[in-house]
Amino acid sequence: MPSQFTCMLILGVALEVCFLVCSIFRGALLRYFFLNLYVILSLFADLVRQYVLHYYGFHSPDYVYVYYYSDLLLTLSLFIVVISLASRVFEELHFARFVRWVAVLLLLGTAVFSYGVIAQSSQRLYTTFAYELSQNLYFVGLVITYILWGAVLKLRETRTRLVQMVLALGLYFSAYAGTYALVNLGTKHEVVLVQYLGPLLGCFLPISWMVTILRHNEDSRLTPARLVALPR
Amino acid sequence: MSRKLGAVALALGILVGAMGLKTMIAAHSNGAVVMANGLSPAPPVTGQHPPK
Repeated sequence: MPSQFTCMLILGVALEVCFLVCSIFRGALLRYFFLNLYVILSLFADLVRQYVLHYYGFHSPDYVYVYYYSDLLLTLSLFIVVISLASRVFEELHFARFVRWVAVLLLLGTAVFSYGVIAQSSQRLYTTFAYELSQNLYFVGLVITYILWGAVLKLRETRTRLVQMVLALGLYFSAYAGTYALVNLGTKHEVVLVQYLGPLLGCFLPISWMVTILRHNEDSRLTPARLVALPR
Repeated sequence: MSRKLGAVALALGILVGAMGLKTMIAAHSNGAVVMANGLSPAPPVTGQHPPK
């Protein structure tokens, strides 16, 4: 593995550990349980991937399997993070249960759709299904996060931590969708660039959430005028 | 009843939107695999889906 990846890995793991420590000391571990769970799973997945990478090699099928199955696990947990934030945004409207229903339907719908896409083209479905479901869930998460952005603006959400966490998620999803587009439209050089962008983006969520937790407490509020500047 | 139908309609709307967005972005896709979570390097892009 190139030394750049090792540096990014060490940086990312350090950021994830820092986020967890800050979360524990600022009392956000249980309050934002699913965010913390995602970071713990990400840390665990990175360690397992490194182990497999070290013992089986970068080009081995073992690494590919571990990479994409752990990716599915992480995408599922990220989807749950988005839904948990949506529940918080809509809880004052008593829509939290509605949001959970929509989430279950979305998960089932995405799974069925992914299965439908690959059912006729694969003999062994498991890995391809994991890959397809992971990618489709990513785009579902992206759309839900954009809807959440709209809801935060429309409902004049003022809880600073919540707003900043939603914004960070939106940026993260958008950046990944951008890299996906770049690879699909791009040349070999852009593909190489994206190989480096992926791990860098992996550092973005822990650092942004860590800054949010450190800078703001649970009672911090934004003024609506700062949240959206409407022309009078 | 209307709330349940609303949930189904919203879920379908989001699903259609997400898949439409994916199709739009991947319109010229060569099947390359890159998008994934975490800090580890993505497996080599082979122009194919993961091994079956």
